[in-house]
Amino acid sequence: MNRDLIVNLVIFALLVAVALGAHVAGQGFTVTLATKAAILGLAGVGLNLALGYGGLVSFGHAAFFGIGGYVTGIFASHAANGDPILTLPFTLMGSNEMLGIWPMAMLAAALAALLIGALSLRTSGVYFIMVTLAFAQMIYYFAISWPRYGGEDGLSFYVRNSFPGLNTFDPIQYFAICAGLLALALLFTAVVTQSRFGLALQATRQNEQRSTAVGIRATPVRLTAFVLSAMITALAGALYADLNRFVSPSMFSWHMSGEIMVFVILGGVGRLCGPVAGAAVFILLEHLLGPVSDHWQALLGLMLLAIVLFAPGGLIGLTLKALRRTEHG
Amino acid sequence: MADPILSIRGLKKSFGALTATDDVSLDLFPGEIHALIGPNGAGKSTLIKQIVGEIRPNEGTIRFEGQVIDRLDAAARARLGLARSFQVSSVIPDFTVLQNVMLAVAGADGHVFRFHRPALSDRTLTEPARFHIAHAGLSGREGTRASVLSHGERRKLEIAMALALRPRAFLLDEPMAGMGLEGAKQLTAILSDLRSEAPILLVEHDMDAVFALADRISVLVYGRIIATGSVAEIRANPEVRRSYLGEEA
Amino acid sequence: MLLAEQVLNGLQYGMMLFLMAAGLTLVFGVMGLINLAHGSLYMIGAFACATVAAWTGSFWLGLAASLAAAAAAGALVEMAVIRRLYPRDHLDQVLATFALILVFSEGTRWIFGDFPLYLKLPPALSGAVTLPGGLQYPLFRLVIIAVGAAVALGLWLLITRTRLGIRIRAGEADREMIGALGVDIARLYTIVFALGAALAGLAGALVGSIQSVQVGMGEPVLILAFVVIVIGGIGSIKGALVGALLVGMTDTLGKAVIPGLFARFMEASDANTSGSAVASMLIYILMAAVLLVRPQGLFGARA
Repeated sequence: MNRDLIVNLVIFALLVAVALGAHVAGQGFTVTLATKAAILGLAGVGLNLALGYGGLVSFGHAAFFGIGGYVTGIFASHAANGDPILTLPFTLMGSNEMLGIWPMAMLAAALAALLIGALSLRTSGVYFIMVTLAFAQMIYYFAISWPRYGGEDGLSFYVRNSFPGLNTFDPIQYFAICAGLLALALLFTAVVTQSRFGLALQATRQNEQRSTAVGIRATPVRLTAFVLSAMITALAGALYADLNRFVSPSMFSWHMSGEIMVFVILGGVGRLCGPVAGAAVFILLEHLLGPVSDHWQALLGLMLLAIVLFAPGGLIGLTLKALRRTEHG
Repeated sequence: MADPILSIRGLKKSFGALTATDDVSLDLFPGEIHALIGPNGAGKSTLIKQIVGEIRPNEGTIRFEGQVIDRLDAAARARLGLARSFQVSSVIPDFTVLQNVMLAVAGADGHVFRFHRPALSDRTLTEPARFHIAHAGLSGREGTRASVLSHGERRKLEIAMALALRPRAFLLDEPMAGMGLEGAKQLTAILSDLRSEAPILLVEHDMDAVFALADRISVLVYGRIIATGSVAEIRANPEVRRSYLGEEA
Repeated sequence: MLLAEQVLNGLQYGMMLFLMAAGLTLVFGVMGLINLAHGSLYMIGAFACATVAAWTGSFWLGLAASLAAAAAAGALVEMAVIRRLYPRDHLDQVLATFALILVFSEGTRWIFGDFPLYLKLPPALSGAVTLPGGLQYPLFRLVIIAVGAAVALGLWLLITRTRLGIRIRAGEADREMIGALGVDIARLYTIVFALGAALAGLAGALVGSIQSVQVGMGEPVLILAFVVIVIGGIGSIKGALVGALLVGMTDTLGKAVIPGLFARFMEASDANTSGSAVASMLIYILMAAVLLVRPQGLFGARA
């Protein structure tokens, strides 16, 4: 087995072990923390496909995270009050079934990503960063000024959506759902990045001119990766909404986009489980430092700064380097 | 004579007041190596970029195997078999030699949107790739990352990638640049061999290589072709001697 | 009459955005750096102005302090962190400057707390004036317009007429070249960064005077400044001015006009909510339109 695979398995196994251990010890809160890490990690896994493998530095993935969340919130609230979501051009009723809501969340995000991606990919480099950030901000302002689903106050729904055969209210069972989807997304990423498409995507990141010279147009490849990436992040948004039974415009905020990016980079760009490690460390820091100081984000900022300036490979890169050193030393 | 594979007529490109190519016409016939020479700044690179579709000419038309390709983008032209190498070696640095050539095979057959099967176990990619790697003289280096190849090996990798495009014509932009004496000799032999695959439009500064390889030579000066002919004709042409070869004589 | 007032509001908003965008675009043009922490410098200017004005009772000293504090913070950050980022890719720049936002925001919250501060305008700048045509308009908003115009003129003179300007233009054209000419690049970069920071700080102080001064005030403005730069073309001061005025006008007029337009074909309450929702998206739609027609921005050089 190669080392990357071992690192990936260890990270995922640790997450599951923490959740199971906490469950056995009767610490429901810790199970919920692990669930949150799995969900945010999933959002990062989505972004990693575009950013890590495709080199598309999207600072607007909160848009897709929020869309996933709002689709869930809207379906759940309509299921509660019985009003249809749409009557034209077709009647669409609310739903409490996760299995029905998830595809809708991913579809909505895919459409948004198709539009945003097609416009943003007309630019590159620093423009792309600014444009994706701006479009996410547009949706943020729209969510604030559209009063139907709560506007600035957000939207609560009191019952967590259901999954056949499971009690979604039981923390460990909800964790199982989230970890299962995370595993699926990781598997999907692993397969896609090894495929012909993955070959083309990584080639356009490293050398666009060369890719064109062998007959591969970069834009359709990138747009596809952007849309797939948005769908995964939207799925995370849907799970996050169900975790809190609440959605608010802050899911769309630039701060959220920044945090998703931090998960990816904290762990290690372009590494399969990097975002999971990044999200877990983020949650851990929030949990450990939060009670010590109200200003833990300042410490996070300093730590992040240190990683960018001195450890470009992220936490996994650091770990691998340390492993190699002990082997040779 | 047979119909030309590549036929350029009246190509004109200006950037503001600067005319980079001025009414350039040339043909590339099956089986030939047609060298394009000229001093620095004569417009050779701009001409190549117009042929591959990287920049659009202001006027003129390009036919490839009889088909007008003016409206096709660079990737579409590559898929037709217009294979190109770069002045500065251009490969995918973090890919292995095998992956680089597999990428070219995938680009050429046009099936990039396959998400499922691992590329490395797709024999429709690996088998042609290994074949072209062997053809370019890189056997045994399949698993090596492109970024650690020597300069000469990277040139060979580019040729393997060009071969993978099932080329109908090669556009080679200064392949000898930066090669040592021994490397240049080796590469000359490879290029001579390549001619049987497809004709070559060869932009080159190394006059030894040009005179050894070329069937015909066109001389580009200030964006215009001042002469086209056999090696002997070009050597004897007084205008060429004055404006170009004169520097070396 | 109402329209004239909205046009002036749009002009004032645009000028404020220009102060933000000018520094950002200058820093990108000369150093190739994308700086997310530009919004923090805006916030620092506002807090410095509010604090010093409260201590001394003088708004003018506060204004001077906003320039000085933002420039000093800018120079300090440039020397400590930013200069290590010039050779890095945009991803590292985004991440490091995002980290700086966290540090600055939490640091400010630590010192000043969560409650917004309010600035009191001196009598000489408050009140309204009567414009030709009889329109009553707040004097201070006219002052912001004038400051923006003066800064635009000043930047133009600086870049076309002074030694520093020549070096800035040389730096945009060719980085190695100015090194070869014996210009101290490190110092030039620090000066340019501090200049951009000072403009952001000034904008923060001016806006803080008509709204409020609080943590997190900088980032929404920063994102609008990005929209301005995308529309105007990166690295172009002229583009920043035109883009800023376009965005300021579009946003202000859109919010004034669209709900009324919607009221013609739907119920008043619906028109108001959906109208304001659409109006809030208008500038981004403008940006999308520019991307469709001219992806490099109105005055951008590169295709």
